Amino acid sequence: MNQTVLVCDDAIFMRTMISDILSQAGFEVVGEAESGVQAVEKYRALKPDLVTMDIVMPDMGGIEAVREICKSHPDAKILMCSAMGQQALVVEAIQAGAKDFVVKPFQPSRVLEAVQRVLA
Amino acid sequence: MDLSKYAALFLTESREHLNACNRSLLEWERAPAAVEPVDRLFRAIHTIKGMAATMGYAGVAQLAHGAENLLDALRHGRVPAGPGVFQLLFRAVDTLGAAVETAAAGSEQDIDAALIAELDGAAVTPMGEGEPASPAAPEPRLRRATDAPRARPIQVIITRSAVMRGARAALVLRRAEALGAVSGVQPPLAQLERDEFDGKLFFRLQTRHSDDQIAAALRTVGDVDSLVFEEAASEGVGRGRQIRVDLRRLDALMKHVGELVVAKNRLTALSADAGDATLAELSGQIGRLVSAMQGDVLASRMTPVGEVFERFPRLARDLSRELGKRIRFDMEGEEIELDRSVLDEIGDPLLHLIRNAADHGIEPPDQRLAAGKPAEGRILLSAARERNTVALRVTDDGRGIDRGRILEKARKEGVATPDVESLTDDLLVRVLARPGFSTAQAVSGVSGRGVGVDVVMTRVRALGGTLEVRTELGRGSTFLIRVPLTLAIVRALLAESGGERYAVPLAYVAETVEFDRRAVTSVRDREALVVRDQVIPTVHLRDLVSGGAAVGAPRQPTVILEVGERRTALVVDALLGQQDIVVEPFDAPRGLPPFVGGATILADGRPALILDAAALL
Repeated sequence: MNQTVLVCDDAIFMRTMISDILSQAGFEVVGEAESGVQAVEKYRALKPDLVTMDIVMPDMGGIEAVREICKSHPDAKILMCSAMGQQALVVEAIQAGAKDFVVKPFQPSRVLEAVQRVLA
Repeated sequence: MDLSKYAALFLTESREHLNACNRSLLEWERAPAAVEPVDRLFRAIHTIKGMAATMGYAGVAQLAHGAENLLDALRHGRVPAGPGVFQLLFRAVDTLGAAVETAAAGSEQDIDAALIAELDGAAVTPMGEGEPASPAAPEPRLRRATDAPRARPIQVIITRSAVMRGARAALVLRRAEALGAVSGVQPPLAQLERDEFDGKLFFRLQTRHSDDQIAAALRTVGDVDSLVFEEAASEGVGRGRQIRVDLRRLDALMKHVGELVVAKNRLTALSADAGDATLAELSGQIGRLVSAMQGDVLASRMTPVGEVFERFPRLARDLSRELGKRIRFDMEGEEIELDRSVLDEIGDPLLHLIRNAADHGIEPPDQRLAAGKPAEGRILLSAARERNTVALRVTDDGRGIDRGRILEKARKEGVATPDVESLTDDLLVRVLARPGFSTAQAVSGVSGRGVGVDVVMTRVRALGGTLEVRTELGRGSTFLIRVPLTLAIVRALLAESGGERYAVPLAYVAETVEFDRRAVTSVRDREALVVRDQVIPTVHLRDLVSGGAAVGAPRQPTVILEVGERRTALVVDALLGQQDIVVEPFDAPRGLPPFVGGATILADGRPALILDAAALL
């Protein structure tokens, strides 16, 4: 069975791109979320093997969402998607429980490397 | 030669050496056979003696000489070490500390001849060892959380080409934490968040895993260039060369940078209006430089909380003797950094809380045994970085707070209305923090009258921080102080209400929503807003400032304030965006409402009031 992914980003463009990269690599994108609140709800409902999480989103940002998810599921495999210059936020996300990060603009190879590490 | 200008330096350095003395003494007391603590103690006292003699502080020098004499005798085994000797040395270090302070203040007092005679005597004749100085007091055991098994030094270099090397290093640390206890992180975490991190990370890891297992686990993080189990070179990893700077200079620099930030904000606003490309570019450049400078100044003021923590093991030791209790005192997160100005203010509140924990929290050994607990109580002082704040926790495994009794007392004093049936943690802390509130049946000498939570609350609030409590009867209590990283410059959300502008520190803003009359409900006669199934009580800023209820538009911007787990919805007229604000020192005028925490100058040069989030909850 394919491994399942929840893609969280407020931009449809980014969600589409990440979904494409991951589905071409054989993952099954089982859900998308466009806010932190949705990310938490969908995580609980879908229990995906992997989550990609944008940092800046409306209605609870990605870091809060990581914190919320890890509160009940400390082993959640969450990969942060960050823009350049957000190092402080990435560090915060890691402390909140995120397992790895990729930096935009995305290179598919980089994203998949990070995914491998997270799922290893 | 005029020596007075060296007095400040003498004082700072002596204090450091005296702190080192206390540390070494504690260590030595735990392991009387150890050689290293004695040597360190001897060197520290010797240095103080030399400095005092140079300064012409004869009394200090003589006292130090007495202590040095005794230490020399101990070092060479001429007299044995034991409880009596330790007690005497602790006293000597305390007296020396006081003497150093008065001497540096320019009023050297008469030396304590009796103490010197006692030191001299002990250096010749062994004290009645085997007999503790205060026989009734059980020997406290003190240990740092980072003791055995041995903490292994680890140096990691992150690949040069990696993006966000600091974040990668943070992942390495996270992975290491899963293996064991991490300490001594260099550079500190706050530096990893900035881009100047050079890729070299050092830390200690206390774990039962083998070197190979550790290396394999840490390498899975990715982008690890090299990993060795070696000490950081003293001038190498993460620490450059250092100089001592008078704190007042840094304060002045901070103040100037603060004003520069305000001027920069004005310039940015003006150049946006002017529509001149060259001006806009220049203003952008100045903006970036000022931001960088602001970061540098703030970074130079960041100090590890360990500097304030280091006096507490000694305090805990003394308390346990005084109270006849057995207390193990541990510390965690000493490397977490705080702005100097915040750090200077946080010592006393922590001291209060540790005293409370030892005095009111931890039970005497017989009571503990009767309750099925180990005879030795535990107090843990910890620091952790959480968002833009630092959380300081004092946790004890003692008797906890009896909510029933507090509630009874609160009803009697009219703090709680009769319909309040139980005390939430939230209400509890507010009751405890009432001036003079006390339920201590016997007023003990240690924490004095009352529990002093009001003092802690006042100090913490003055710093823009918050105080929370968690307690469970029979299991213990945790007091949590949350303070902002820095006092000087904070990022704030600007809001308008009734034609006035207000700044709300972002550290306490959870989110902004729209106040919609249709989503309003009421909870215990209070208006509340339903946000995603959560009911949040509302406060209309207009009502607070004008005193009368004003009818606002049907939809108004609303700021959700969050302090700890408490939330409130602050309804305003308009939101004006975010800005770095410089918090001006502020003596609150009489009659000022409690929710005003300070004042600032905004980008257009006009003043605005800073709202105190905790006071609005």
